[in-house]
Amino acid sequence: MTDAVHEVPGRASTHPRLTGTVRHVLLIAISFVMIYPILWMLSGSLRPADELFGGDAGLMPSQVTLQAYSDGWFGLQVTFGRFFANSLIIAVLATVGNVLAASLVAFAFARLKFSGQKFWFALMLGTLMLPYHVTLIPQYVMFRSLGWVNTWWPLILPKYFAVDAFFIFLMVQFFRGIPRELDDAARMDGCSPWRIYRKIILPLSMPVLATAAIFSFIWTWEDFFGPLIYISEMSQYTVQLGLRSFIDSSGTSSWNELFAMSLLSLVPIFLIFLFFQRLLIEGIATTGMKR
Amino acid sequence: MAAHNTVATSNARKQVAAGGWLWGAVRRNGAGYLFLAPWLIGFFCLTLGPALVSLYLSFTNYDLLTTPEFVGMQNYVRMATADPKFIASIRVTLLYVALSVPLKLAFALAVAMVLNRGMRGLPFYRAIFYLPSLLGTSVAIAVLWRQLFAADGMVNSLLAQFGVEGPSWISNPNYSLYTLVVLSVWQFGSPMIIFLAGLRQIPVDMYEAASLDGASPARQFFRITLPLLSPVIFFNVVIQTIEAFKAFTPAFIISGGSGGPINSTLFYTLYLYQEAFSYFRMGYASALAWVLVVLIAVFTAFSFLTTKYWVHYDD
Repeated sequence: MTDAVHEVPGRASTHPRLTGTVRHVLLIAISFVMIYPILWMLSGSLRPADELFGGDAGLMPSQVTLQAYSDGWFGLQVTFGRFFANSLIIAVLATVGNVLAASLVAFAFARLKFSGQKFWFALMLGTLMLPYHVTLIPQYVMFRSLGWVNTWWPLILPKYFAVDAFFIFLMVQFFRGIPRELDDAARMDGCSPWRIYRKIILPLSMPVLATAAIFSFIWTWEDFFGPLIYISEMSQYTVQLGLRSFIDSSGTSSWNELFAMSLLSLVPIFLIFLFFQRLLIEGIATTGMKR
Repeated sequence: MAAHNTVATSNARKQVAAGGWLWGAVRRNGAGYLFLAPWLIGFFCLTLGPALVSLYLSFTNYDLLTTPEFVGMQNYVRMATADPKFIASIRVTLLYVALSVPLKLAFALAVAMVLNRGMRGLPFYRAIFYLPSLLGTSVAIAVLWRQLFAADGMVNSLLAQFGVEGPSWISNPNYSLYTLVVLSVWQFGSPMIIFLAGLRQIPVDMYEAASLDGASPARQFFRITLPLLSPVIFFNVVIQTIEAFKAFTPAFIISGGSGGPINSTLFYTLYLYQEAFSYFRMGYASALAWVLVVLIAVFTAFSFLTTKYWVHYDD
């Protein structure tokens, strides 16, 4: 009798331990498959050029050399050093713009009161879903008539006008969680909205500012479409455009150099991932970031 | 005289009152609008204005150099009746959305369920699975994919070890799109993290109660997990579908910007890019952009309408 009663809990206690091992084996297998392509790229970038492309799916090069990195770095008329510098400047300036503009606007939506607030907020949310293609051509025409084609302005300036509503939304959510009593007390003491924003809200919002900055940096760094349509002169290229030219100019003959440069273009993202993983994952889990 | 005076004073009072009202409105709203200013300028000059201009341009022929020539519905008519490339791009995009979104989400959910409930090593696995999503749309990953599925790429040399001679996946129109679907599924990490967060909201005692009542794991999945997770599933479906409609970089890199072979990777956005920036048919490209908006709007509206049949909101 008692055995029969204990049967269900008994099974429940052995079951998880057994499936635990199975789970780990399964997960390690999936992890391996997921990461394998990247390891293969790394191994490819360390191979000498004459080691033929086909026939080897393995990870061990017959001979390890950094030749592909130095050849690839100087593989185009302009060095990859220049592309990296360009990308870095654009990404940093764009990130500053995004964080600055989005935090100002989010402060207005979350902490101030003004007429028409709900209307503007609804409009702002409406632009979240709007594909950028619909503003693409008139924006291009506008920037072209300003003489900004082949400059970085079209890639940077819009961020200072909070065009990516996503960041506003992210910050509004966070600002709303900060106790209102802090603002009220400061207001009693005669603090202006600017001081409240600067001295109370911003210092308390470092996690969300960091999350927005990280995503903003990564997205600008990886952006291909914007530079593709606006930048035509190689000295102004971003890393992504440099890689594209590299494919066109080298074909499959110097694939190891292509791999080396591709891998280098991912290094900043790897580093951010390594140091800010927790912020990234929390950012996605709480807001449902798109990627 | 007296009457005149009272009229004058009441006018003056009105003026003061009006001035006071205006001053009051500025005092009450000024700060709000000052902080809002960056977005307001951006909204009118970079979003609403351009969107309306592109709507107008969609009814014109415009090559950037001469003034736009109004042609009525001609662009839309041409799309529907005389543009095989448009039809091809719609077909490719819908196929891509229909394959990549369900596969990616099913995989994301499956892995999230295996990872669920604080198992050891969770942060490690989660990080590994998330990494591809983060690298996602970079050119480097598209380059990698090109070589993985090349005729002499990694996939074929793996297959060769089993004595199978694989085709050239990238340059065969029957397979090229599927390599992009695989790429999309490989990036299942971010929806997986959202699923994990959703799974964590489901109370453990519901499963305990169910298993005490003898409900099988499958039954628990269909009766507890799926219904309680449905708002998160809904969210992921909407976001991932919109993203899939907008996919560009992998197709551009893998096909060298052509959308080939034989238009098999001609994503909608890639076709739009070609029309606008290779052929400078800005009017036609604007019309394409508005069709994309309508496609996404219809899909989103449709998803929201179906929510009452399958999305369970816990009130």
